[in-house]
Amino acid sequence: MDLLLYGLDLLVFIGIFGILAISLNLEFGFSGLANFGKVAFFLVGAYTYALLSQIGLPFYLCLIAGALVAAIFGLLISLPALRLRADYLAIVVLAFGEILRLIVKSEDWLAGGDWGLSVSPAISITGVSPRVDLLVNIALVFSCLLICFVVAQLLSNSPYGRVIRAIREDEVAAEALGKNRAKYKAQIFMLGSAMAGLAGGLYAQYLQAIVPMLFLPIITFTIWIMVLVGGPANNWGVLVGAALVEIFERGANIAKDYIALPIDPSNLQYILFGVLILLVLFYRPQGLFKESPIKTRALEVVRHAREQVKGEGG
Amino acid sequence: MPEEELLKIEELSKHFGGVYAVRGVSLDVRKGGIWGLVGPNGSGKSTLFNTILGLYRPDGGCIYFNGRKINNLSSHQIYGLGIVNSFQVPRLFFQMSVMDNMLVAARGHQGDGLFNSLFLRGGWQNQERDLIDRALGLIELVELDKLVFAPAGELSGGQRKLLELARGLMAKPRLLLLDEPAAGINPVVGKKIFQKLQSLSKNGTTFFVVEHRLEILFNFASWVYVMDRGKMVTQGQPEKIIDDPAFYQAYLGAE
Repeated sequence: MDLLLYGLDLLVFIGIFGILAISLNLEFGFSGLANFGKVAFFLVGAYTYALLSQIGLPFYLCLIAGALVAAIFGLLISLPALRLRADYLAIVVLAFGEILRLIVKSEDWLAGGDWGLSVSPAISITGVSPRVDLLVNIALVFSCLLICFVVAQLLSNSPYGRVIRAIREDEVAAEALGKNRAKYKAQIFMLGSAMAGLAGGLYAQYLQAIVPMLFLPIITFTIWIMVLVGGPANNWGVLVGAALVEIFERGANIAKDYIALPIDPSNLQYILFGVLILLVLFYRPQGLFKESPIKTRALEVVRHAREQVKGEGG
Repeated sequence: MPEEELLKIEELSKHFGGVYAVRGVSLDVRKGGIWGLVGPNGSGKSTLFNTILGLYRPDGGCIYFNGRKINNLSSHQIYGLGIVNSFQVPRLFFQMSVMDNMLVAARGHQGDGLFNSLFLRGGWQNQERDLIDRALGLIELVELDKLVFAPAGELSGGQRKLLELARGLMAKPRLLLLDEPAAGINPVVGKKIFQKLQSLSKNGTTFFVVEHRLEILFNFASWVYVMDRGKMVTQGQPEKIIDDPAFYQAYLGAE
C-alpha cells in the first residue's frame, strides 16, 4: 500500500485525537477534573453525527449538533458528579462511558447495535483518488482542531484561566476568594465535552461507519497518556503528546501487518503504553512540556519591564 | 458613638459531634479600626472565623453583615459581600506565581467569566493593567517585590503568610478576617503590617484579627474579645483587658 496514504491517515488521527487531548487538558490540566469518561462524550458526538447524517442533515450541522449534544450530556453528568470528591468523580464518569457504550450496543432500533451505523462522507466527490479524499478530511479535521486550540489558548491566558487553575490548586481557597467552583467546573465540563463531541463527529465522518467496539475505555486512557506525556496545562505539549501517541499507535497497527511477533501486537502495545506512563511519571512527572504560565498583555508588559531592570542591574 | 455596625453575631454555636467548638457566642464589630480576638489554643477562634466565612454551617444562632443575615450563604457569596479572610495556614495557589495569586483575589474582574474571557478581551485587559498596579503596590508592602513572578510554592513560611495577607487586601474587603497574621514572621515586619492595617482601616476596611502576639495586637486594636473553651469570657479595650482577671484565667487556667 501507498506509504503516503498511511501518512495522511495518521494526520487525520492526530488531528482528531489532538482535539480530544486539548479538551482533556482543559478539564484535567487546567481545572484538575479527572475525567475518566472522555470516551462517553466522544461516543455521543459520533452517534449524534451518524444518526443526523442518516436523515440527510449537512455535515457541518451534524458536527455542531454532535458537540451540542455532548455538551448537554457533559452538563447532566456534571451536576451530580461535581459534588463528589475527585476520585469518586473519576469512577462515576468511567462507569458512565461504559453504560453509554452498552446502551448503543444493545439498542438495535436506535444505534444499530453491534453492527453500528454507516455514515456518508461529508464532502463526496465520487471517483476521485483516496489521496484527495484524505486531504479533504485533513482540512476539515485541522480546521476544527485550530478552533479548539485557539479557544483553549485564549481561555488559559485569561483571568478565567487563572480562576480554573486556582480551583485546581485549592478549591476551598478559591471559593473563599469568591469563585463559584461548581459553576466553573460545570462550564469546563460542558466545554470539554463539546470538544470531545466534535471529535466524535469527525471520527464518524472519517471512518464512515461506527460500531460500539470503537468506544472501549482504552480510548479514554489513550487520551490520558497524550496529556500526561505531553504535559498537563500546556496546550502545545498535549498536541505533541497526541502526535507521539498516535504515531506509536497507528505505526504499531500498520507494523503488525508486516512483522511477525510471538505475541499479539495489540497486547504488546498496551504493555508499552503502561511502560511509557511509568517512565513519564518517574522521570518527568510534569510531562515533556511544563505548565505554560498565564500570559495576558498587561502581565507581559510588567514581566518584560522587570526582566530589563534585572538585566541592567546584573 | 455613631459608629456603624458591620458584623453582628448572636448566640452562635458550632459543634463537631459531641464537642462544642463555639458555644453561644455573641459579638459586634463596628465599622473601622482593628478588632482583636484572643484566647488560648482550642478556644474556638478559628472555628468562629470559619463559620462567619460560610466554610462551616452554624448549628445555632445568627450572623448578620450590614444588617443582612448571612448564615446560609455559601462562601463565594459571602466574599461577594466584602468579607474576606486570610487563613491561619496559608492556602496559596502554589504552582501559580505571586502575581497570579494576587490577581485571582481581585473582586469583580470582568475576565473571570467564560464569555468575557473569550470575546471581550479588550474590556478586561485594561482592568487587568490597573489590578496589576494595585497588586504590585501590595506586593511591595509585604516586601515580596523581588518574587513577583516566582511560584508561590517557592516562598518561605513567613513569606507565604505575607502573601496570604496581601491577597486578602487585594479584594478591597469591607471586613478582613485575619487568622494570626504576625505568627511566624519577623517581629519588625509584623509590627509594620499592623501599622499598615491601622492606616488602611481609616479608608473603610475593618479588620478582625486573631493573634497570639498580644504585645503587637494590644498596641493596635481598639477592642478585644477574649474566648475560652468555646465561650466569650470577656471583652473590652486592650488597656482594660490587661487588668481583667477573666483574661488571665483564660490564658493561665487559674481556678
